[in-house]
Amino acid sequence: MDVFLQTLVAGVLKGGLYALIGIGMTLIMGVMGIINLAHGQLMMLAMYVTFVLNAMGVDPYFSLFVAMPLLFLLGVAIQKFLLNPLIKADTILPENQVLMTVGIGMALTEIVRFIFSSDYKYITSTYSNQTFFLGNISFSMALTIAFGIAIAFTVAMFFFLIKTDLGRSIRATAQDKDAATLMGVNTGRITVITFGLGSGLVAAAGCLLAPVYYIFPDLGGPFTAKAFIITILGGLGSTVGAIFGGVTLGLAESMGATYFGMEYEDIIGLTIFVLVLLFLPGGFKRLTKI
Amino acid sequence: MKGTVGKAFVVAAAILSLAVAASTGFAAETVKVGVLLPLTGSQAKFGEIEKRSFEMAAEEINAKGGVNGKKIELLFEDDTGKPDVGRSGMEKLISREKVPVITGGYSSSVTAAAAPVAQRFQVPFVICTGSADDITEKGYDYIFRINQFASEYPNAVESFLKEVAKDVKTVALLYENSAFGQSSSKSFEEDAKRLGLKIVVKEGYQAGAIDFKPILTKVKAANPDMIYMVSYVMDASLLMRQSKELRINPKMFVGGGAGFTLPEFAKSAGDAANGVFSATLWIETLPFPGAKAYFDKFKKKYGSETEYHGAEAYAAMYVVADALGRAKSITPKDVREALTKTDMKTAFGPVKFISYGKKTQQNKLDTYLVQWQNGELDAVWPKSAATKKYIYPTPPWDKRK
Repeated sequence: MDVFLQTLVAGVLKGGLYALIGIGMTLIMGVMGIINLAHGQLMMLAMYVTFVLNAMGVDPYFSLFVAMPLLFLLGVAIQKFLLNPLIKADTILPENQVLMTVGIGMALTEIVRFIFSSDYKYITSTYSNQTFFLGNISFSMALTIAFGIAIAFTVAMFFFLIKTDLGRSIRATAQDKDAATLMGVNTGRITVITFGLGSGLVAAAGCLLAPVYYIFPDLGGPFTAKAFIITILGGLGSTVGAIFGGVTLGLAESMGATYFGMEYEDIIGLTIFVLVLLFLPGGFKRLTKI
Repeated sequence: MKGTVGKAFVVAAAILSLAVAASTGFAAETVKVGVLLPLTGSQAKFGEIEKRSFEMAAEEINAKGGVNGKKIELLFEDDTGKPDVGRSGMEKLISREKVPVITGGYSSSVTAAAAPVAQRFQVPFVICTGSADDITEKGYDYIFRINQFASEYPNAVESFLKEVAKDVKTVALLYENSAFGQSSSKSFEEDAKRLGLKIVVKEGYQAGAIDFKPILTKVKAANPDMIYMVSYVMDASLLMRQSKELRINPKMFVGGGAGFTLPEFAKSAGDAANGVFSATLWIETLPFPGAKAYFDKFKKKYGSETEYHGAEAYAAMYVVADALGRAKSITPKDVREALTKTDMKTAFGPVKFISYGKKTQQNKLDTYLVQWQNGELDAVWPKSAATKKYIYPTPPWDKRK
């Protein structure tokens, strides 16, 4: 029983972090209809921001307030100067915005390698190794805090989209870009803000992950892949779906690791991915309708 | 990228010196040596340590007059840690650059993929790191290996278990699910069987995982006397940190090669690293000529630490230069001939390519047991090489200061 509970706890905690990684991508996907394949790389960048701040004595969680605005601005700049101009350009490939994100991801990785070299960096904060126990079940302090913040951000995002004007405009753009434009929504501005928000959210994930993981220039790729799986699981463009997608992936990985073997971690994630594509093509969004 | 700037500089310098040489009617001849290493990708860190060690050794050799008066010119090929890229890099070195000898070979998967290419084109490949057993088991006559192979890694642990840790009866085995990890864990299983140890948990994992709690929970439930892990540096650090979080208390934690001996492991794992034993292939305090000198010089020159991978590369450069110096001519065939007669002492230990067990053209070396004590790594076993006394059994987490 202890083994099961510990696995459950580990899976849910990791899932919270996954949700935060996925939600930024799902937002961008919903509004612009493109997969941001530089998503993990943006997170990597935020982790380096956290690392640099930490070297100057700033607490990793406090660096949220620096990394998120920074990455928001970077996201805005990317959308405005690198992606939007491509919409106008007439090319053979309609997906050239996606290709552009691949290029951005590579450039980010190499720029970071140029500055910081390929060495592993790590942040050792007082709570990196701290734990508390409920009965026999251990909770990692850092992951528990990360889970709380991740859920808070996701819920805030949800209400932002439902309740505010800007949020409604974003949803309108996601539903039908042409109709939104006709209704007077400045869709160009909305895409810029959305990309900024998506980048800011994944920056938060980066700050939360930094104290429990380690940092190197090439870590973007695997996390882009994870974010993609979560986005598909949750349903394109659905924030609530992203939470379900994240927690499902976290739980599946943990349960799979305990009861099948940890070497199958990725296989289990991808199997669920394929099953969802086959039997629930719209993701969990289909079940919740939000 | 810094390397690229450096390379550009070297190229510029080379062009300049060529121009000077041409104008004076003197052409400096060089001996090309191909080096296959991961310079980008997730293994780039070790690739860089090895690259710098190769460069340092080549500089030293060239400063002393090179190989029979000719300077050594290193041609690095980036295998990016991927077998297919390694294979094409090997082909490029052989057919385009026409190198007479190739060295390097970092990851087992890449090395195993690149070795048959060297064999097919009949160009000697002196492997310095790739450690999967079967690479030197195929009877390839152009493949040489300086380093110990994966199944030899636990030799020092084995003798420690027989002579000191006699009360260890049960083991949990955790390994990275890669060619190296599987090869090491398989051989450890055989050793465990021979020593009468019972493996209570055996789990593979994918490198780069965030959370090891699921498998560590299983380990905790089984409460083994010893945990044996085959991991690279950051996985190693997370495994120990999370073992501490879950308060898993075996009599000893043992890291089988790879990541547990790096300074980064101790720094990132913090106090969770204390007491961890590791099998290692080299440490600078070993009584080999030039070992300590290499370690100090590397640190001074590059401002960062080196470890056994670097020593392997450094020694490989000397072995290759020695063979080139003895070869009748600088052709792959003659260099291979010279390599078979290699018998020298290097900073990594004595090198002589012999056949033993199923292996051919394999160098035979000891392995050592080291332990982290208060953030310092010391050789504790075998006694002949020990610089500090071992701490056994490891104190439980909640009893530590």
